[in-house]
Amino acid sequence: MAQRFLILEDGSIYPGHSFGAGATTTGEIVFNTSMLGYQEIVTNQIYHNQIIVFSQPIIGSIGIAHDSYESILPTAKGMVVRDITDISKNRQRSLSLDQFLKQHNIPGISGIDTRHLIRQIKQTGTIKGSIVDVADDHAFDQLHATVLTNQQVAQVATPRPYPNPNQGYNVVVIDFGLKHGILRQLSKRDCNVTVLPWDASAQDIINLDPDGVLLSTGPGSPLDLPESVLDMIRTIEERIPLFAIGLGHELFALANGSEITKLKLSHHGANHPIRKIITNEIIYAMESEEYVVDPDSVDRDRLITTYLDLIDGSIQGLRHRDYPAFSVQFFPDGAPGPDDSVDLFDEFVEIMGTRE
Amino acid sequence: MAKVVVDAMAMQRALTRITYEIIEHNKGIDGLVILGIKTRGVYLAQRIASRLKQLENATVPVGELDVTQYRDDIEHDAQDVDPTVTVSKIDFPVTDKKVILVDDVLYTGRTIRAAMSAIMDLGRPKQINLAVLVDRGHRELPIRADFVGKNIPSSQQERIKVSVSEIDGQDSVEIIER
Amino acid sequence: MDNEIQKVLIIGGGPTEIGHETELDAACVQVIQAFKKQGIRSLLIDNNPFSVALEDVQPTNIFIQAVTANNVQRIIEREQPDAILASVGGVTAISVVQELQENGVLADNDVKTLGIPADALMDINNPDRLNDVMRHVGVPVIASETVGTLDEAINVATKIGYPVIVKPIAPRIDTNRMLCENEQDMISAISRGFSWSRFKQCVIEQSIVGYKEIELVSMRDAMGTQVLIAGLENIDPIGIHSGDSMVVTPTLTLSNEEYETLRDTAFAINNQFQFTGVVHTHFALGSSENSYYVTKVTPYNDRGTSLVACATGYPIAYVAANLYLNQKLTDVHLPEIYHFKQTALLEPSLDHVVVRIPLWPFEDVKNADQHLSTVMKSVGSTIGVGRSTEEAILKALRSSQFSPQDELPSMNDLTDSQLISQLIHPLSSRILVLIEALRRGYQIDELTELTKIDPFYFVKLRHILEIEDHIKAHPMGVDALHEGRYYGFGDGMIARIWHTDIDTVRKLGQDNHISPTYKGIEPSAGELLNSPTAYYSTFELENESQQISAKTVLVLGRGGNQLGPNASADYFTTEMLKQLRKSGYQTVIMNTNPNAGSLTATLSDKQIIDPVQLGDIMNVIAIEHPVKIFVPGNRHYLTRELRHRNYVISILPPDQEKRSELLNDHANIGLDLFVTEGHIVPILASDLRSDRGIATTLDQITLMRTPATLTDQQLTAIIAHAKDYLGAHKRTGMVQMLYTTNGQQAPQFAGVRPTRLTTIAYLNKVTGINWVRMLVRQALGEIDEDLIAKLAVDIRSDRRSQVRGTFPFKQLQLPDQLGLTTQEVGARISFETL
Repeated sequence: MAQRFLILEDGSIYPGHSFGAGATTTGEIVFNTSMLGYQEIVTNQIYHNQIIVFSQPIIGSIGIAHDSYESILPTAKGMVVRDITDISKNRQRSLSLDQFLKQHNIPGISGIDTRHLIRQIKQTGTIKGSIVDVADDHAFDQLHATVLTNQQVAQVATPRPYPNPNQGYNVVVIDFGLKHGILRQLSKRDCNVTVLPWDASAQDIINLDPDGVLLSTGPGSPLDLPESVLDMIRTIEERIPLFAIGLGHELFALANGSEITKLKLSHHGANHPIRKIITNEIIYAMESEEYVVDPDSVDRDRLITTYLDLIDGSIQGLRHRDYPAFSVQFFPDGAPGPDDSVDLFDEFVEIMGTRE
Repeated sequence: MAKVVVDAMAMQRALTRITYEIIEHNKGIDGLVILGIKTRGVYLAQRIASRLKQLENATVPVGELDVTQYRDDIEHDAQDVDPTVTVSKIDFPVTDKKVILVDDVLYTGRTIRAAMSAIMDLGRPKQINLAVLVDRGHRELPIRADFVGKNIPSSQQERIKVSVSEIDGQDSVEIIER
Repeated sequence: MDNEIQKVLIIGGGPTEIGHETELDAACVQVIQAFKKQGIRSLLIDNNPFSVALEDVQPTNIFIQAVTANNVQRIIEREQPDAILASVGGVTAISVVQELQENGVLADNDVKTLGIPADALMDINNPDRLNDVMRHVGVPVIASETVGTLDEAINVATKIGYPVIVKPIAPRIDTNRMLCENEQDMISAISRGFSWSRFKQCVIEQSIVGYKEIELVSMRDAMGTQVLIAGLENIDPIGIHSGDSMVVTPTLTLSNEEYETLRDTAFAINNQFQFTGVVHTHFALGSSENSYYVTKVTPYNDRGTSLVACATGYPIAYVAANLYLNQKLTDVHLPEIYHFKQTALLEPSLDHVVVRIPLWPFEDVKNADQHLSTVMKSVGSTIGVGRSTEEAILKALRSSQFSPQDELPSMNDLTDSQLISQLIHPLSSRILVLIEALRRGYQIDELTELTKIDPFYFVKLRHILEIEDHIKAHPMGVDALHEGRYYGFGDGMIARIWHTDIDTVRKLGQDNHISPTYKGIEPSAGELLNSPTAYYSTFELENESQQISAKTVLVLGRGGNQLGPNASADYFTTEMLKQLRKSGYQTVIMNTNPNAGSLTATLSDKQIIDPVQLGDIMNVIAIEHPVKIFVPGNRHYLTRELRHRNYVISILPPDQEKRSELLNDHANIGLDLFVTEGHIVPILASDLRSDRGIATTLDQITLMRTPATLTDQQLTAIIAHAKDYLGAHKRTGMVQMLYTTNGQQAPQFAGVRPTRLTTIAYLNKVTGINWVRMLVRQALGEIDEDLIAKLAVDIRSDRRSQVRGTFPFKQLQLPDQLGLTTQEVGARISFETL
């Protein structure tokens, strides 16, 4: 395996071995502490423009499975791992991670002291990095000069509507960079889904006469999306049951007067206990967040806090006081991660049932 | 033959949803009191109150209404029988309060009518809303629930059995064919 | 918190045996600590002389008795405890509590069971009831049916599909399950089965041999809050007992979906049974979607939970103890030492891999059948921790070898047919045989077919061979050294490959800055920055382990448990650590035994989980600069090599210059003494016996009994002789003088030897003086001779006591035979009732 380098904005150089594509890429360095599901993680569109560091040192050990994609065309900028296993034949699986990354032009680098890297970026905060062939001044110049787009949603969301027909409730999903787990869960509940582009207007949605609307996950900052998205949410929440996840949750909070703050370092992992406030239960779920709702900004006359992370205190869920509209920061569909909260989809379906 | 139509998880969700709907409907919990109809309605009322407390960090008073005359212990709201409802434990005033009346199953509506009379004897609430875990249809009176956990269309030959973990060891709703 | 519970009777695990070693006692120690903090009075019943827990409980609360229902019942009736805890006493404790539940003793005395509700106690070991619970929570159940005729059997087997297992119901003899691949097998098995069954009935069960064996360890509180601590993956498939299987954590070959399904299942079962504390759930996972079964539910501490605690740094037994008292997981605060205050609810996320390799007793019990099967045969295990699978496997493998020289035995003298036979019917050399097969060019697909081991592991083993080739091809190559060390090759191994010595290899590393980097073992995968106390080494960029003090003692743990003196070594090591700390030293322990109580984080200042091999020890020394190195029990090669390099070594009990001086190989009286520069203190005279009576050789002496059958005159004579002898021959520490007696005649001197570790544990219990601590203080030069002069040891006490070695013959399915000291798996101690 050819030697390549991970270089960071602060001048650090991590030599490692190339796997996946040989492309030179630049992105924000984020780390994920999930112990399973590298395929689901790397195909999640929330990682658009990002280079993902895996704390789990053994990656690639089960190849790639046809039923574990979270998007068809992943847009992560790279994978940083300690150890890569190029295995393509585990049970029915036929594609290796290495081959998969090559197909999608995503570079990987292995042999990295990922624990050190994670401890370092825990201290420096979010930092840009590149995977390069040569760690010279030129590479660093390029890294510093690269401005990452803030139009991630427009780049990954579907440009045109498409249906996912079924027999049940009529659900409109607004795609901000949708992870497939959401569609899988709606399918399991027989929902007749229409996916609309992220910039669909309230009228576009109402025209489809949905029983419910779901605002999807997606990459980047909710603050980079135009005010029209918030207007759409304010109109819809008054009329149609609304469920929002991830970026959708952040938008829902913004639309209802809350403020969003950027974390010093994004958090990606599935091991934090989350308190479900209404019943005082503890659940676990995949959390993946760069932006969180500022707890002090929540307008208590409009929103109720429904879920809290017990480790970092972040708000993980909200519900509107006046309308059947609710949101979660974490991923209730798992993929990867625990599915302790997957019945939020049932709750959504039941709400649609009572509002018929 | 018993068939589980609402399992423990679904019952939890139904109560959670009803709780949110109560907040939605009443714009908060100011002036709210909850009255449960014995036996299972009381436990459901307590669960709703505990959820409200979790969310709003304020205590909503819970009172109990007793059905003294009923045909069997599974469905007190049975046909052709007018049950008598008495106040068994309500140690707070209801006048000018928003009352949430809670029962497990809504059937003919006769129990609810009796319950409302009993409440009216106590004072003059600002409003009365009805929350039920199950609405099984077959109403004999013009009564409608404001908050419904689950609509279970049923035949009159069937019985609906609600179990709550506090006294039955499990949470479930079953349909039992007679 | 449950205030009704003030007094808890803890059921100990009894003597070490195949199935459990020190992990139960280690868990018990943590439970006692946690109970103490909550103001609970702990009573403890156990007869294991090597129990550390027995040192931690007030003597008035200790019952040194065999763990039987009768004994426990008597204690309950006399002491009236509020509750009883079986969760740190293994299967024995569970069955005792089951019995007391069944016969009403618990109810009559109003004693609650902690952790496992009384109903659940009755269900967990009953396959039928367990299956009912599985069906209730919607978990697939292995298809099985009871049959009484051949026709029925054939129909059922056809319906279930071959292969099937035939098990006679209520068999008259101790039988195994019979695996049938086809109808012909089945016909012969069923006729045998009917003839063995008291009811002429058999159960025909779907075979899951070859399935993956996965284990999950979870915690649950009384509120129903649950946290998953970790998953364990058995590298060997179902068909080899998980205790005899190589195990890796975290799971490496499971998809997210599979893992979450098992997690949900484990949680649902825990909820159904209303367990509190720790639960270890075993699964069989098939290759097709949704084919998984629950094979075992153990809601108590065992080797799986201790492995997970060791691998994650999560103090399972301590947290569980709080949960038994109905504390909520949200309220449990971990001891300060664990450095993270985020409650016990953080689900551990690992950034390292741990591999466990079992150790078998076949060197010491040569006539045992060495095939690995569904019956457990191993007596201990070692783990390797690494940042790659290769590194973890190699470290575990290096620690599992009996040779002290950090070399792996060669398998190249196996013939091809022997090799194939051992691939299909594995022996204890399992992993070496797998490597040898790859070396001979077997393809991964073939090997997976033969062994049912996931191909992932063959890819890793093959990589190890490639690295070995690379090292071979580049003698004294800097890159080769780096790659070798990076993937877990020991300096000793590399030296041997290069036909050089270890110092040359180490110098090459030093000159080229190929230095070990220690990484913390903690449950947050680096997300929380606090430094833990447990570390392992690898060769990367960042080293997290710094010298802890200028007054550090390094203690070399004994590694994996084996037969013989090892059974008591961990007790010895633990007491050693306690005294070193008391004497004002910071302590660093190296060990590889996941079940070792001596690795408990609260006992030492730093724990290094790396092979206790020369190169690895010198790596630790280079960072810690210990003032002394303590070695419990002797290890000649290591201590010689370390002394040779001018390190200060204390071997305890002291390795006498001339170890033993034996005039003959027979003795029936032993006199143990503590010898300082100025004093000779007789401790105990005892009869030395074999398990069957008279010991004709010294290695048959596995039973000690006091008071010795000596007349007062004889006792006076041997004490005088011993003092004379030891005064003339310079020896210090603890020695055992050996004599032969015959009736009233004067005892004949038979020789002198260092007191065995096993014996020291016995002496501690009998005299109430902790001789391990005395030895440590002596080695530290802290012995106050005036105090020794006043030391009151009542050698003429007529309190009757006995310690007796126990042997693994029954578990190894051997006929009862005369046990030797080298075959002791544990021991039991008793007082008064002999």
